[in-house]
Amino acid sequence: MKWQWRPSQRAIVGWALALVTVLAVLANQRDVGIARDETVYFSAGTRYADWWIGLVTFDHGISGKSINDTFGGAPGGNNNSEHPPLIKTAMGLSHWLLFRKLHVTDELTAYRVPGALLAGLLVLLVYSMTLAVWGFPEAVIAALCTLLLPRALFHAGLACFDAPIMTLWFATIYAYWRCLDDRKWPWQVGVVFGLALATKHNAMLLPFALGVHYLVIAWRAGKWRGLIHHKPRVVLSLAVIAPLTLVLLWPWLWLSPISHIKQWLSFHLTHVHYNFEYLGDNWNAPRFPWHVALVTTLFTVPVATLAAACAGASVLVVRWRRGESADHERAPALLLGLSMAASIGPFFLGSTPIFGAEKHWMPALPTICIAAGVGAGWAARQAADYARALRPMSETLARRVAFAIVGGSIVLASGTETVAAQPYALSWYNTLAGEAPGGADLGMNRQFWGVAARGVLPFLSYQFPTKTYWHDASPAAGWYQRLGLIRGFPHSGQEQPGIDASNLAMVIHEKHFNRHDYMIWKAYGTVRPVFVLRTEGVPIVTVYKRPVPLTGR
Amino acid sequence: MLLVVVACWETCEAPRDAAAIPGDKAWQKAADVVRASYQPGDLIVFAPDWVDPVGRLHLGDLITIDDAARMDAARYGRIWELSILDARSPETKGMAAAASQDVADVTVRLFTRTPVTVVSDIRAALPTAKVEGPARPTLELAEVGFAPHRCIQIVPPPKSSIRITFPQLPLGSELVGYVGLADVFTRRSPRGPGKLAVEIGGEQVAQATAGVDDGWVRFSAPTTPGSADVTFIASADDANRLICFAAEARR
Repeated sequence: MKWQWRPSQRAIVGWALALVTVLAVLANQRDVGIARDETVYFSAGTRYADWWIGLVTFDHGISGKSINDTFGGAPGGNNNSEHPPLIKTAMGLSHWLLFRKLHVTDELTAYRVPGALLAGLLVLLVYSMTLAVWGFPEAVIAALCTLLLPRALFHAGLACFDAPIMTLWFATIYAYWRCLDDRKWPWQVGVVFGLALATKHNAMLLPFALGVHYLVIAWRAGKWRGLIHHKPRVVLSLAVIAPLTLVLLWPWLWLSPISHIKQWLSFHLTHVHYNFEYLGDNWNAPRFPWHVALVTTLFTVPVATLAAACAGASVLVVRWRRGESADHERAPALLLGLSMAASIGPFFLGSTPIFGAEKHWMPALPTICIAAGVGAGWAARQAADYARALRPMSETLARRVAFAIVGGSIVLASGTETVAAQPYALSWYNTLAGEAPGGADLGMNRQFWGVAARGVLPFLSYQFPTKTYWHDASPAAGWYQRLGLIRGFPHSGQEQPGIDASNLAMVIHEKHFNRHDYMIWKAYGTVRPVFVLRTEGVPIVTVYKRPVPLTGR
Repeated sequence: MLLVVVACWETCEAPRDAAAIPGDKAWQKAADVVRASYQPGDLIVFAPDWVDPVGRLHLGDLITIDDAARMDAARYGRIWELSILDARSPETKGMAAAASQDVADVTVRLFTRTPVTVVSDIRAALPTAKVEGPARPTLELAEVGFAPHRCIQIVPPPKSSIRITFPQLPLGSELVGYVGLADVFTRRSPRGPGKLAVEIGGEQVAQATAGVDDGWVRFSAPTTPGSADVTFIASADDANRLICFAAEARR
């Protein structure tokens, strides 16, 4: 079928989808609470941005001391040297421009804008690659499936790195695939891979996907000779320009680069295993079940998208076996499969930390969404052919109607799930799991990082201001005050001493946090809460009030 | 066609699943039913367990901390179970409801039975206990197996044991107890278990091992009615094992 759209019109569709994504993320994040680690990135990002601004405005030069004071220190310390600086710097610059200079957004939104922009970019890239390889309707469906991923949309609204690395990971895949054409200087892939490395350490897994893919296409192109002569400049770009880009963007690496890279990576290779609930059990030490990533993905991607992706993957395999693969020379389907495998594969080992669940393997999602686009496209064509066999009609009409029905139903289902999930998407599970109540029944993780605490602010605002035990949301409590969302509920301190000193106390529900309920019972002498925040009926934050208030608080 | 069916099913089912849980009005009505027939000493439980905070929001004033942190439910003759989504509480497993009523999507069931008679409870007798070893037991409200339990907590030094003797403890026909490791963060590492042995009159009658993932482990031993010295011996190979236990002598 020929869609009578000019290339420029198709490009507009891609940009429009990207814009809708940015707006959707920005609108959604307004109701999303502040994650514990966001507060660390806010302050680090502001310092990084100020350093760069100071540098380009000649307020200061480059000195070891200023670099160390801003970017250095042991991983896990105040300067957050355990994570590369790109996204934090972007957050800081966004805050400087949008909040401090232009006053067009509030502080929180300003920090979160880069994530929203990158979410839009991801949708544009998914659309562009699918359009180039599989066609326009497939591209539209793939892009919409990417936009309508409930958990990914949530994560994109946080000032963190998980959604950005999904974008930069896929951008590397896309750039690599584009650079496999006959261009003379494929520097772009090196730069983009460098940006990915400067975003999050997941990017270290990309060479597994790119390496295997390169070996396959090079072997196909020229057997042993091809391994050396196929596209050596792409390899050179990845091997040289990418590390240079990383070093350029990360001033900490300007000093003792080898030692600092070692510190950065060893922090993650020896990372503590936080508590995480999965299928009814609390996991905080390996070996973890091999199926965590599989089951979690099965429950956190809309069912319709998964079903379409299964159809798409099957179609791509059949076409490959028939020798009918699209773009045989650059093998994009293989590349996407390897991208997914490299992203999610480590979580099958049983030793990789699982505490962030799907957010840690989100770079696998673009592959699923593109496969869903391909699957939906195939199903629509089959349906159109079947309809035409039953009743004579034009091919164009039959296919347009079929695409509208198949694509529309998938998008509607994903959209329904996405709306249902917000703003507490960490508690959301798809219909296969039974939504949030089903997830709770299955013993799947309900919250982390204290994000849900924002939902109790309206309740607190009706209480007499007093010392409050903010539990896992204690780092965010100050920010809620700063943003004017609450006034006069200072954090009373950590653990039992903090509870003992409080008149109000909250517990954000995760299995390993049950102990906080019991500490509060002990201090307050009652098991009865005064407020239970729920999503789809499932408790996510419980608030207690001391029956007889402490005086002078 | 199958894709469209799956998508339509998801579109219809997602809002329905999300709206399946009763709200506060329903819980309030169910709570009113319980309050109308509640008797002091009744136990109130909720199912599934994740709805417990909502249940306590509406009936928490009738649940004491000791009820919530009970050793087990055997001493309760009347148990109220408020459940949603056809869930059942482990406390009422195998029991037939004496009364059942559906109140706005919350099922209220009353279970009755002859409760066990508790002759003595070592938690109450802790002040009279004699302790041999370098650690002292305390009575705690602890998290064991992610559930609350009022228990005697002891932290034996690695590869050694602590003996806690209750002199002339009144006994019935059975001694029933539970043991587990408290505190999820100390359970994370190291991963070794805690052990508890029970001696009556110098003879070992029971022992239990509580691993980091075992939760609240039951043990029991037949006893001869009367009084005897009962000793609990807590030991662990690893440091920082917060061994928590409780036991009742039952008629």
